[in-house]
Amino acid sequence: MPEKKITIQAARFDPDKDQEPHLQSYEIPFYDDSMVVLDALNYIKSHVDGTLSYRWSCRMGICGSCGMMVDGVPKLTCNAFVRDYWPKPIVIEPLTNFPIVRDLVIDMDDFMDKLKSVKPWIIRRQEIPLGAGEHRQTNEQIDEFRQFSQCINCMLCYAACPVYGLDDKFLGPAATALARRYNLDSRDQGLKLRQPVIGDAEGIWECSFVGECSVVCPKGVDPAKAIQQSKWDTTLRFVVPYGNRD
Amino acid sequence: MATETEVLPATRVYRRRLSTGWWTRKRNYFLYVVREFTSLPLALWLLWFLWEVQRAKLGTYHPPASTAFVIFSVIVLVFALYHSITFLSLAGSILHFRVLDRPVPSRLVVLAQFAIWAVASAVIAAVLIGFGTYT
Repeated sequence: MPEKKITIQAARFDPDKDQEPHLQSYEIPFYDDSMVVLDALNYIKSHVDGTLSYRWSCRMGICGSCGMMVDGVPKLTCNAFVRDYWPKPIVIEPLTNFPIVRDLVIDMDDFMDKLKSVKPWIIRRQEIPLGAGEHRQTNEQIDEFRQFSQCINCMLCYAACPVYGLDDKFLGPAATALARRYNLDSRDQGLKLRQPVIGDAEGIWECSFVGECSVVCPKGVDPAKAIQQSKWDTTLRFVVPYGNRD
Repeated sequence: MATETEVLPATRVYRRRLSTGWWTRKRNYFLYVVREFTSLPLALWLLWFLWEVQRAKLGTYHPPASTAFVIFSVIVLVFALYHSITFLSLAGSILHFRVLDRPVPSRLVVLAQFAIWAVASAVIAAVLIGFGTYT
């Protein structure tokens, strides 16, 4: 039986040589139905062209490192099966809306700064001593924020967001979803510290509810919901007496 | 090996800009832009409506002369329905209420919004028809 082949068209960009990115074609064996796009890239890297650069780590949709545009759609390449594209060529490009460092590697500094700005960790006015025991939570309290805690910072939502593409000052979907995750956490007391960033003109109010961030999220997080709920809460805090609670 | 004081040259990055036709690339983007665009004819309709009210107040209002307004209203009605239905459907996922310490399902919130919308539309229609009969 002849060996099946798949053509991978990967974006290449060498900052020292190229003015702009271009596509390079690789025809490689499609050896297994369980083969994912990341496997194809790893095959190219190992057997065809060792200069191809891209990020990856866990291969199981946990680390969020291998996000790329697969046929124009932001996807985790470890979660995109080659069989779903074969026999057509697969075009792999770096995530849109981010500067390209090299080939399929993007500059993620802007996202990291935004993530840090919303303080995505539990903030307490006064820490209790370790000996006092753990902070107890009921299942209902966990359910309040559970889905937002699934975010793996893969940045697919930023690549899908035209608002961020048009204005990169926008805080963006994942950072807001994680801010909401901590604001909804019964153990957290940091809402007032996050609010200036979230409620800023470049924060939640910049979002005009395209909704594509929630469509592309590989972990089922709904960042669009987090943003709209934050708008609702921020408005209530502003108009309702004593709404400016912690 | 770089010493602590040595400043490494910044890496050149390639920056991309969204093309002006980005919203034609995907169905969802297109529907989103259409939804946003519907606000414009709605605003124009409101201005025209206020002008018609002004004409009625001055006693120069003759219904046949407003055929264009009626046609425009029917067209804008389609935009208004599209905008309202998409907005109310999405808003169901935004609003989160608790009744008896249990979250209200978003489907129920959406249905309640459509019910309020229908009642509000009926009340406004009654007021406008009453206003038209009176004048």
